[in-house]
Amino acid sequence: MFGSTKHQHRLESRNAWTFLAFPVLIIVLFTAIPTVAGIVLSFFEWSGGGAPRFIGLKNYEALFGGSTTFSHALSNTLIFTVATVPITVVFAFLFAVALNAKWFVGRHFLRTVYFLPTIISIVAIGFIWRWILDPSDAGLLNHYAGAALRGVGRLFGSEAMARADLPEFLGNSPLGLTTIIVVSIWRTLGFSIVLYLATLVNVPQSYFEAAAVDGAGPWQTMRHITWPSVRPMTIFLVITSTISALQVFDIVLVMIGTNEQPWTDVLNLFLYREFTHNRLGFAAAIGVVLLALTVMITIGQLLFLRQPGRTTVLRGLRRGRG
Amino acid sequence: MSYQLSKPGGFARLAVHVVTYAVGFTMILPFLWMVTTSLKTRGAAIDPEGSFLPGGWPWEWQWGNYVDAWMTASLGRFYVNSLIVSVVITALSGVHNALAGFAFSKLRFKGRKITFAMMLATMMLPYQVYFIFVYVLCGLLGYVDNFQALIVPFLASAFGIFYMRQAVESVPDDLLDAGRLDGFSDLELFLHLVIPAVRPAIAALAMFTFMGSWNSFFWPLIVIDSNDLYTLPLAVNALANQYFTDSWPIQMAAASIITVPLVMVFLIFQRAFVEGITLSGVKG
Repeated sequence: MFGSTKHQHRLESRNAWTFLAFPVLIIVLFTAIPTVAGIVLSFFEWSGGGAPRFIGLKNYEALFGGSTTFSHALSNTLIFTVATVPITVVFAFLFAVALNAKWFVGRHFLRTVYFLPTIISIVAIGFIWRWILDPSDAGLLNHYAGAALRGVGRLFGSEAMARADLPEFLGNSPLGLTTIIVVSIWRTLGFSIVLYLATLVNVPQSYFEAAAVDGAGPWQTMRHITWPSVRPMTIFLVITSTISALQVFDIVLVMIGTNEQPWTDVLNLFLYREFTHNRLGFAAAIGVVLLALTVMITIGQLLFLRQPGRTTVLRGLRRGRG
Repeated sequence: MSYQLSKPGGFARLAVHVVTYAVGFTMILPFLWMVTTSLKTRGAAIDPEGSFLPGGWPWEWQWGNYVDAWMTASLGRFYVNSLIVSVVITALSGVHNALAGFAFSKLRFKGRKITFAMMLATMMLPYQVYFIFVYVLCGLLGYVDNFQALIVPFLASAFGIFYMRQAVESVPDDLLDAGRLDGFSDLELFLHLVIPAVRPAIAALAMFTFMGSWNSFFWPLIVIDSNDLYTLPLAVNALANQYFTDSWPIQMAAASIITVPLVMVFLIFQRAFVEGITLSGVKG
């Protein structure tokens, strides 16, 4: 009897590894090993052909030793991340609560609508938004909002305003970066909403009933019951969207292009240019900086956000009663 | 019951509706613009006094823009390329991820914890660090400028395995024990008991995978050189600068051509998709 369970265990172990062998091989081969190799490569100079030349910390010295391209790309990437993540998470929560409410008319239809931008190919997004934001009169926003602006100008007899064009939304300016941020939020909001919606379904109805018994209003209920209840999902979203925000790339590529523009350049675009110019070691060093940044921020977030979720809900319940 | 679940007052409800619909409108508007413009003449598209809809009856609309976009850029070939890559990845990685998720969730074996933890850790790695050596590796394997480079690295994913593992966790152990008593092998347990139970999660993951692969841009850009092997987004992006620059309607027709299949897939599988996310209860 004992022997047969032992046999069973061995069989189970063998089966498990049969199922896992290929997936694990793929991940080791195409993620784990290349990551280690990438870190090693960042200490070398290599054009892809011939032998890599060890140059120690030279790549990093070049990055941190006053490369303005790097400092622009780094600060834009950080600004992008700090702006997009909290706005996306908070608004996704609010809209998810609205679209989850039984009293909301047409919520199923709107859920689909909010998810649409997430599905659209980034190339199509580039086409559409470049056209909408085109500074000429053919651009939709300039056409309608600009016309309204000029109309107001004529109404008040202001010559300058009557002939004004809207600013260049995709230009090399703080406005350019803001535009990228707004379009990026527009694009990713629906995804976070769907994940919140999936979590809201699992919040025990008894929490809301308890709050109602104690006479908590809708705002109090949302603030002290709903928000703490979905905390695990909030943490998940903050961490994953921070990781992907640090990697921002394609949206800048399709809306602005790959050329260096100090106000809209980002780390990943910088890395891409270095890669296409065959400076692989240097490109790898930029990648390692991104990795270090990601790991540091993620660990910081985990430490900062970690709190036993359950007690938070209970505390919320108690506060909801007060 | 003596209480009512709290619900905002009439005015607050109205305000919530107004804001949510207004934002929803901006979500769908660019998409509608894309479609309506793709059916206009060049002149009408940029006419300052033009209307939102293409004028006239549907049979008077410029359906020819689609033909033009399709023919000038010979999108047919790129369509097939994208379909091959996305379908193969979705099907095969679905099988691999589900099997691995099942193994991690329900089978006991040596090294389970450490393997799973290491796999989770790889999810945090930005692809910028590793794509250079994936490129080098693909070169060594003869994959560069070949479909293999677009497919093989994606035949399993840490995210997919994690997701499937979470989904399989919800399958009761009793059910599997009963299956074992009936003499099911591990593979039979997976095929006959686990798969039916986690079908919505499989559908959701398939949807994620298909979307990701259909819209994938960075990696194909790096690894594919020959025009023949371009995927749809790559082709449309490259050709936009050559053939379509002077015509918004044709650009929009091309954009619609990339977008519409995904929207169709989404609308068809929407129910399974949402259900799948709900069931798996992704909880950080």
